[in-house]
Formats: sequence, C-alpha cells, structure tokens
Amino acid sequence: MSEQDRDTHQHHPDYWKIYVALVILLAISVVGTFSGILWITFIMAFGVALVKATLVAENFMHLKWEKVIAKWVLGIALILMVLFFAGVSPDIMKDRGLQWVNNADLAATARGIPDEEEPEKGAPASAPDSTKAAAATQTAAAAPAAAPFSPETTFKTVCAACHGPEGEGNGPGAAALNPKPANFTDPAFWTDKTDSVLEKAIRQGGASVGKSSAMPAWGSILTEAQAKQMVAYLHTLKGK
Amino acid sequence: MQTPIATTRSATGIPTGRLAIWWVVASEIVIFGGLLLSYVMHRIGHPEWAIAQAHTHTFVGAFNTFVLLTASFTAVKGHEAAEKGDGKKAAKFLYLTMGGACLFILVKSLEWTSEILEGYTIQANGFWAFYYTAAGLHALHVIAGAIVIFFVARDAAKGRNLQRVEYVGIYWHFVDIIWIFLFPLLYIAK
Ligand code: HEC
Repeated sequence: MSEQDRDTHQHHPDYWKIYVALVILLAISVVGTFSGILWITFIMAFGVALVKATLVAENFMHLKWEKVIAKWVLGIALILMVLFFAGVSPDIMKDRGLQWVNNADLAATARGIPDEEEPEKGAPASAPDSTKAAAATQTAAAAPAAAPFSPETTFKTVCAACHGPEGEGNGPGAAALNPKPANFTDPAFWTDKTDSVLEKAIRQGGASVGKSSAMPAWGSILTEAQAKQMVAYLHTLKGK
Repeated sequence: MQTPIATTRSATGIPTGRLAIWWVVASEIVIFGGLLLSYVMHRIGHPEWAIAQAHTHTFVGAFNTFVLLTASFTAVKGHEAAEKGDGKKAAKFLYLTMGGACLFILVKSLEWTSEILEGYTIQANGFWAFYYTAAGLHALHVIAGAIVIFFVARDAAKGRNLQRVEYVGIYWHFVDIIWIFLFPLLYIAK
C-alpha cells in the first residue's frame, strides 16, 4: 500500500450503523407494497433505492473520501448513458406518434393480455397466451389453404383481447384504452358505418379511417376476403 | 521482486489499481444502466406486463437483497481489517462475503427453477425476457465476484496484496447497488 493511499484512506465510519440503516430501508420498501397505493409503493421503492445506493457508494465504496476525479469518471459515464437512452425513449415508450403507429407493438400488447377464460388457473397467463395468439395468427394466415377461415374463432382469439369475447368492447385490454374499443353489439355503433370503411379499419388499422391508432392493423393476418367475412360476422353481433 | 512502475506511479493521486476499478465500475454503469433504462422504457410502454410481473416473488427478492447487503457489510469490514494490516481477519470477512454470494446464487437458482417449471421462460414474453437477462447478467457478476474474492482472500490470509481487499470490495459494492435497483424494478413496481 502506498503512502498516499494511507493518507486518503484512513476513514472508517461505524459500518454497523450503516448496515442497520440499509436493512431498515429494505424493510420499508417491502412494507410499501402492502399499502396497495401505487404512488406510495413507487416512492418507497425507488426513493429508498436511491438512498440505499447513496449510502453504499459513499460509505462502503468510500466515494465520500475518494479523489474528485473518480467521481468524474463515474458521473460522466452515468450522464452519457442517460442522455443516450433519453434520446431514444419516445420511440420505445410510445406506440404511436403524429406520423407513425407501431402496429407490432400494439399487437404484442394485445397478445400479452390473457383470455377471459383462464386468468386464475395458476397457469402462466402470459406464456401460453402469447403462443396461442401466435398460433392463431398462423392459422389465420394459412387459412385459405388449410382449415377454413372462421371469423368467429379469429375474433375470439385475436380481437377479443380488446373488443371482448361477445364484441361488447369490454375485453381485458379495454381498460387501458381511450377511446374504448368499438362495441359491435351497440346499434348506435352501426348507424354511420359502411362495410368498406370497416374492412379498411381492420386491414389497415384505426388510424387509416381517422379512428384511434389503438386499433391495430391486421392486414398481415387477414386477407381482403377474410376482412369481408369478419365484417359480416361483426354484423351478426349487432343488438345481441 | 521488483514492483511494476504502474503500481507506484499515479498522476491522479489515486492508486493505479483502485483507479482501474473505478473504470471497471464506470463501464458497468453503462452496461447495467442501459439494460435497466431499456427495461424502464419498455415497461412504461407495456402496461400489460404488469400481468406477468405479478408473478415475481417479492419476498424471495427481498431476502436476496438482504443477503447482498450483508455481504457488502462484511466486505467493507474486511477492507477495514486489511487497512489495519490484519490480513487474517480481512480474509475471514471476505470468505463471509463469498458465502453470501453463494447463498444468493442458491436462492436465485431455486427461484428460477420454480418459475421456469411454471412456464415462465425467457421466451414467454417481453417482461420475462428482461427479467432473465437483467437478473442473469447480475448473477454472472455475483459469480465472478465470488471467484475473485476467493483468490484475494487466500492471498490476504497470507498477508499478501492487502490493497486488493479494498479493490475487490468496490466492485462488490457496485454489484450490490445494481441489485438495489433491480429489486424494486422487478419485484416491487408491479
Ligand atoms: C389492441 C386492442 C384492439 C384489438 C386487439 C383489436 N381492436 Fe378493433 N378497435 C380497437 C379500438 C381502441 C377501437 C376504437 C377506435 C376508435 O373508436 O377510435 C377499435 C375499433 C374497431 C372497429 C371499428 C372501426 C371504426 O371505423 O369505427 C372495428 C371494425 C374493429 N375494431 C375490428 C377489429 C377486429 C376485426 C379485430 C381483430 C382482428 C380487432 N378490432 C382487434 C382496439 C382493438
């Protein structure tokens, strides 16, 4: 150990106290989850994490007594990293902007929402669902050649996540959406609709007909003919 | 044995070994920071991940946080002992830290096994992909830390290279800090 090292590094606070403080903070962040109130949980979890990290960095890593250049090294790395990711954040956090809609992202959201039937079976809601949705996608795409296309089955597997199994616009995904997914059972919905507009909405997404882009485009899994059949099926839901 | 020049010369006033560790930590900030920020951004964009995230075990995560905090505590006690020239005591503390690392990995393996058996694999969806990537990269750091700590402790017990006790400790505390953020991100903010 060099001489200067001795000079700058003879600081040893009472590590017990810091350790006990860290454990208490940990307990607080866990207790926060019981409040059930989102912002309390968040403040307790991330506020506490920041305090804990500072305690460890300053006292255990001895940053408090370290030469300032070490702090610069760490600080610059941190700032550059945050700058870079802040720059790309709008593209990642949003699924649409003024000029664009990320349909793949919206479809992923729809797949991530479990079916009504089996949310509480203890089975992983997300895992089989995503495979199921993928499988549904494949069958729908392969439909003309293989099994006959069933608009009802496709609706129940793909669209029901948002539109609800009966088309009432109340699927599990609806809660997070504004405007709400269309309610096909409501006669008021049908008053000003033409089939060609609905087909376009289905194949090219809500934004293509001036509606919400939360309605994804399904052109990649539904042919024009299938979209027609789908609209015919939607008609049968009216007034149910 | 002749000491390498780099060990004795220092333009920054920080011993070269320790400065090197700070650079390691700086690069780790970019690696983990990038991963964690990507996760945060995707998580904000995907409210439905909450459904998947509800399945993580808060208490298992909390227990492992406790284990890491304790291992950090023993690491810094080792540093204190090393600076007093007591290599034997420093080594004892470092072995405790190593034990903490092993306990952490043991708990992690059990946790992952049960989750994978339930069908929550890395391919299940975006949340689980991040879950296994972030926690997995962190676990690799814990394993690497345990191995390095073992060699440093073995040396320290013989009174050799005592300054390394501090250096390995700085790395270890950083691994601890990563987990301090991973814990609320993956287990609490549901
Ligand atoms: C991610 C959720 C989501 C999924 C999945 C979804 N939709 Fe929609 N859909 C919406 C929303 C939201 C609206 C309402 C748009 C508005 O009113 O601005 C909508 C509206 C519609 C409309 C009415 C468009 C109009 O002109 O008013 C039709 C038709 C429709 N969806 C068909 C479908 C079909 C068919 C599927 C399955 C292949 C489907 N949707 C899957 C969210 C979804």
